[in-house]
Amino acid sequence: MFDPSDLLTQFSIALTQRVTAAKTAVVAIRLPAGGHLSGMLWRADVIVTSDQSLTKRDEFEVVTAGGFTASAKVVGRDPGTNIAAVKLSQPVSSGSIIPGEAQVGALALAIGADANGGARARMGVVNAVEPEWYSSHGGRIDQRIVLDINLGRSEEGGPILDAAGGILGMSTLGPRRQAIVIPTATIERVVPSLLRDGHIARGWLGAALRPVAVPEALGDAAGQSSGLMVMSLSDGGPAATAGSVAGDIILSVDSASTRRMNNITARLGADSIGRKVDLRFIRSGAVTSRQATITERPSP
Amino acid sequence: MSAALKPIPSIQLRVAIHATTPLRRVALSKILAAAGYIVVDAQDAADVVLADGDCAQIEDTPTVVLGSVDRPVSGSLAPGADAHQIDAALRAVAAGLIVRSPAAKEAGFDQLDESDVQGLLTPRELEVLGAIMEGFTNKTIARHLDISLHTVKFHVESVFRKLGVRCRAEAVARALDSKHFRTIKL
Repeated sequence: MFDPSDLLTQFSIALTQRVTAAKTAVVAIRLPAGGHLSGMLWRADVIVTSDQSLTKRDEFEVVTAGGFTASAKVVGRDPGTNIAAVKLSQPVSSGSIIPGEAQVGALALAIGADANGGARARMGVVNAVEPEWYSSHGGRIDQRIVLDINLGRSEEGGPILDAAGGILGMSTLGPRRQAIVIPTATIERVVPSLLRDGHIARGWLGAALRPVAVPEALGDAAGQSSGLMVMSLSDGGPAATAGSVAGDIILSVDSASTRRMNNITARLGADSIGRKVDLRFIRSGAVTSRQATITERPSP
Repeated sequence: MSAALKPIPSIQLRVAIHATTPLRRVALSKILAAAGYIVVDAQDAADVVLADGDCAQIEDTPTVVLGSVDRPVSGSLAPGADAHQIDAALRAVAAGLIVRSPAAKEAGFDQLDESDVQGLLTPRELEVLGAIMEGFTNKTIARHLDISLHTVKFHVESVFRKLGVRCRAEAVARALDSKHFRTIKL
């Protein structure tokens, strides 16, 4: 029996309204190996999607809401923040993106695409909201938002809505298929650079390093129990130019200790390029330091 | 037992290794040799290829990849897969099966990994572990590194303690775990 005053019915209607409003912003990206990935219409001709699940190729076929297919070109990828920007051959109508606000316990809706231009929806609560974090690929992500949602593989890359219909960000599969959100603020920061340069600039020392324990005899002089040992150096890279050699144990970059990778990664953002830093390291049983000039990481 | 039920004689599979570093190649070769495989050079004809994620090439030979790879391969294992898993995967893909490990599939976009300071080895301990992986005895290691046998034993014990292992074979297997021989490019 349909009773419009019933709270559960109203709740359900509100949910379908949110999904209906959001589904024009969701596209399916067909993968060459079969199957598809979801993407979020960021602008009339720009889609953002999950970089880790997007096959390494330049062109894709995209199915927009309503089942229209279009070709799209990858214009930039950033493994650091898991954002790939894909440009549609012709623009489609899109609503404006209103950023949402993540709160622990608040309702969240994950919208994905089906293979034919329809939507897929899942609901859960925001499980955790934590401050800024760094990914294993070195990207800075504005907030760590974890969802209590069991996201399907093909639904990754779609938008996550809050209860008011604001966009929390793009869904991403984390470790053990945990659904996490790449926040709207991060996408806003990264997409313009991807459209302009195709990648995100990062600072570079030009060294391959391995975490090692500082030998006990040097613990006091070093002031820390671990560091990063230089395994190899890129010819002409900042560390090589500064006179580093294989076997040096780097203890700190400026005041940031190499004991914590987060510290070091934070020092090597785009703003670090061209900056002079003090490398403090152990060589032949003594602690010394040298100055290096950070350059831009060459594209892989 | 009737003749029809006799087990098929085990075939020695020829395996080519594509590893990221020479040390890793040595360690993988040891595991394969111990399990009865014939390790062949990368360019020789092989029944199966065992490759690190970054080194996987496109070829027709069944391939077991350690780590992530973005194209379909017959076998996909976690980078730190143990000797039993590698052995099982090689036999399975050689027989035309497809192998997936839950760990490799479940790896997703993750946080920067902070090293566990407790388990880190000193540069000297890394050298000793490298020598153990080459199959050297303590005596040979002592001569090689120009230190006393007593010091070598001390380092070996410390390596075992930090890796949580009891013998050299276990240490070699554990060393393949990406965490201990992970390099970070900065």
